[in-house]
Amino acid sequence: MGKGSHLGDLEELILLTVLRLGEDAHGGRVRDELKELAGRSVSVSTVYVTLMRLEEKGYARSWKGEPTSERGGKAKRHYEVSPEGAEVLEAVRRVRDRIWQGIEAISTEAAGA
Amino acid sequence: MPESGPPRLASWVLERRLPAEIGEAVSGDLEHEYRRRTVPGRARLLADLWFWAQVIALRSGSLRRAARRLSAARPSYERNHPGRAARVDSDLWSKILMNPHDLKYAFRRLIRTPGFTAVAVLSLALGIGANTAMFSVVNAVLLRGLPVSNPSELVEVYTSDSDGYVYATSSLPDYLDLKPGLDGIFNGVVGTRNFITRVEAEGGDELVMGELVSGDYFEVLGVPMALGRGFLSEEDATPGTHPVVILGHAEWVTRYGSDPGVIGRTVRLSQLLYTVVGVAHEDFTGSMPVLVAGYYVPLMMTDVVMGRDSNGQIERRSSRSMFMKARLAPGISVEQANAALAAFSNALAEEYPESNENRVMTAMPRGDVSIHPFVDRVLTPVAGLLLGVVGLVLLIACANLASFLLARAEDRRKEIAVRLALGAGRWTLIRQLLTETMMLALMGGVAGLWIANWTVELMMAFQPPLPVPVDFDVSLDANVLMFTLGVSTLAGLMFGLAPALQATNPDVAPTLKGDAGRTGKRGRFNLRNILVIAQVGFSFVLLIGAGLFVRSLQKAQQIDPGFDTGPAAMIWPDTDLSGGMGEDERRLFFAAFEERLLADPAIDRVTMADRLPLGAAIQTNSFILPGVPSDTPDGDHDIDVATVTPSYFETMGVAIVRGEPFDAATVEGEPVIIVSEAFVSRYYPGENVVGRTIDRGEQSVRIVGVASDTKVRTLGEAPRPYVYDLQGQGEFIGMQVVVKGSGTSAELLSAARRVLREVDPNMAVIEAKTMNEHLSLLLFPPRMAALLLTVFGGLALLLAAIGIYGVVSYAVSKRTRELGIRMSLGASANDVVQMAIGGGMRLVVIGALVGLVLAAGVTWALSGFLYGIGPNDIVTFVTIPVLLSGVALVAAWVPARRASLVDPVRALRSE
Repeated sequence: MGKGSHLGDLEELILLTVLRLGEDAHGGRVRDELKELAGRSVSVSTVYVTLMRLEEKGYARSWKGEPTSERGGKAKRHYEVSPEGAEVLEAVRRVRDRIWQGIEAISTEAAGA
Repeated sequence: MPESGPPRLASWVLERRLPAEIGEAVSGDLEHEYRRRTVPGRARLLADLWFWAQVIALRSGSLRRAARRLSAARPSYERNHPGRAARVDSDLWSKILMNPHDLKYAFRRLIRTPGFTAVAVLSLALGIGANTAMFSVVNAVLLRGLPVSNPSELVEVYTSDSDGYVYATSSLPDYLDLKPGLDGIFNGVVGTRNFITRVEAEGGDELVMGELVSGDYFEVLGVPMALGRGFLSEEDATPGTHPVVILGHAEWVTRYGSDPGVIGRTVRLSQLLYTVVGVAHEDFTGSMPVLVAGYYVPLMMTDVVMGRDSNGQIERRSSRSMFMKARLAPGISVEQANAALAAFSNALAEEYPESNENRVMTAMPRGDVSIHPFVDRVLTPVAGLLLGVVGLVLLIACANLASFLLARAEDRRKEIAVRLALGAGRWTLIRQLLTETMMLALMGGVAGLWIANWTVELMMAFQPPLPVPVDFDVSLDANVLMFTLGVSTLAGLMFGLAPALQATNPDVAPTLKGDAGRTGKRGRFNLRNILVIAQVGFSFVLLIGAGLFVRSLQKAQQIDPGFDTGPAAMIWPDTDLSGGMGEDERRLFFAAFEERLLADPAIDRVTMADRLPLGAAIQTNSFILPGVPSDTPDGDHDIDVATVTPSYFETMGVAIVRGEPFDAATVEGEPVIIVSEAFVSRYYPGENVVGRTIDRGEQSVRIVGVASDTKVRTLGEAPRPYVYDLQGQGEFIGMQVVVKGSGTSAELLSAARRVLREVDPNMAVIEAKTMNEHLSLLLFPPRMAALLLTVFGGLALLLAAIGIYGVVSYAVSKRTRELGIRMSLGASANDVVQMAIGGGMRLVVIGALVGLVLAAGVTWALSGFLYGIGPNDIVTFVTIPVLLSGVALVAAWVPARRASLVDPVRALRSE
């Protein structure tokens, strides 16, 4: 993988969360979901910096949503995973799976011992 | 309506800190979470704080860089505000205050001197906390306007009373005439009246405040409904026909669990069932700032709600118990409205001379009234006093902070000179100092917030002993917090920065040589010394105030009220509000209650009165006293009255000094009264008034006895003429029952409650209290004043002690070498201690003298608040200086002692 396609740990988590949330993916939800699923409290700034970086790399796309009253009349920004993003997630997963296959037996043995 | 979003200033800062590309999304998210954090009906202070923290912690730089890179990589990226992109680098906040390097540096410096940091933060926190708390309370009671639309158009309308008092209440028929009568002047007139009602609750009925309101009340005031609808005009058109109710928001949240299904349900208020049609907006708590209305009922339900039989308040023009508010029509001034009201009052007087002669309606801008002109006049000086007190505390705290920053800056002269010599920019140095001060301020602000919160809770715990819980709607005011934070930070900056700027003076040679530290600033009156003098002076004034109030409280407790204050209990059954009881029923009820009480082994004596001395209520009657001239046009005298049963004097321990006590046999006969000794000495000095007849309205009453004086309204008053009417000739309205016996007050009270439940399990109790609780009502203001001033005076003393400690320990640390020399030349540890203390105590003495002069000039303002002592009470003026110098001595001794323990050799080597 080249330099531009590297995916950091948080980037990966956030991109996955965006994928998982589907239609519902916007900054605030991503943050809530990360906290719930990964137990990671991430600041608002970090979430958006990461989302913008993902977008810059071409892994995510965003567009402005409708303003709502509980947000003080401010619009959400919706995110989705781009085909390139899906591809890189898939690639990361393949790498991980490959590595895990080699150690699964050991880890269960170690846990049993 | 007030905004329910996050603090405006915070939003404003946030907007400026966010890059345009992503700004809306981020602030929208934060706002959304802010709203989730605000629980309805609760103070939103914590949410405000959270929001501020988010704004401050926002990583503005990272966001901007990411946004810039993104726009460079994807030029098609949509922008919300293209114009703002040019301002990417203009975030002053980040530049000055959130520079990570400076932050780290400032943090390290503060951590390195934990004592200094703790003292500075604590000083700030106490000053900010006390001020925020006190202002929030004053704000809730006096300053905060009604949350209505266009409040500047709103006026209060009063009707003058027979004594010519302008701001008295109005009658319902007058109101109904006024409503259509001044078209073109007013865009709507609303009528309101507070009432107390019983509501079902677990463990017995509770009493809750309600408000009778005209049908157009919410519409004219511009208060939206949180749920359901406002009143329809037909619901306030005919007397007693529409039992509908609108719930207050807090009541809906607490008693009905915010249930949206409450609309259409019926609730029982006292005896009658009402249908809920709406819930008022959260921010609106009724038309009186202090009395939070739980229920709003149409005015036409007045007779039902008030429950007095055959009273016909809706028709009676002479029954005046209502307040009116009106909305001025566009372009109409208050003067024009007053002219129109005067003409209207004249017309009414012509038509209804017997009730409306000399009654004039007046409009007063709502903004000029807090609670009521009369109440405002009492409360405003109290509020001013309290704000003055906490203001002094803030001044002392600021002086502390300034003094510490000053010392610190002086210490840093050398460091700064070195860095300047090495080529550091002045601006960089100043920025670092600024960052440090801001960090201190921020920590002080956060700690102050907790102190404020805690103080308000503490103050709210002191409920005045009144029958209905007085429900202040106190939420901490973010503006005050910001203001006090700003003032104290500014003070800190001024004192911290001035020496820093001086230190960054290019002429660094003398400082580098170390002369400044040892020889400079040894003058008698450098800035730090002046600050300590000011602190001591201010705390002296506060302590004198506290001393006066404590002494006054002691005096008040020693005053003999003139009746037996031994164990007793008072219970006030709600026979009037219940609505169902007629006069005969009430008579039977009280007879049964008295009989059963006397049958109880714990109870020896029982009496009843519609007014107890030193209670909250004041009632007077107009009497014509033959042979006694009066200033009033009608020639009458307003005299305090109470209606009592024959057993009153014996039970209350009030002696009959002449004539006879009431006799059960006279109940059926001619109207008789007993008067107090003060009545005799005021109106008929030296005469025997027993047997004399005086007139009350159409009725002639005969005096049968003279009772010894009791305090009537206040403990401090001179003996007041008092007239006792004989119950039995009256209607048994508002009777309170007093029981005495061999047990404690608490035992008597529980016995009385038990008996009441046996007599009538459904009877609600307006008030049940022990004698001590009864007496505490009047002692409440002096006790509260003594408590608050003692707390704040103590706080001031603590801050001043910290200041003295700081000055002495600083002076000592600067003179370590000198002290070392002196000790090696034979000075004893004692000499050193004395010398070091001497410097500090000289400041204390000067400060105390300044304080004495200030106090002498200020205490006269307190004379109106004091019982039994003058504002120049000698005990106070002797005790306080002793206390102050004692504390100051300890504060100076601690660092001085430490200095004397230093090994001379090491001291000589120290620099």
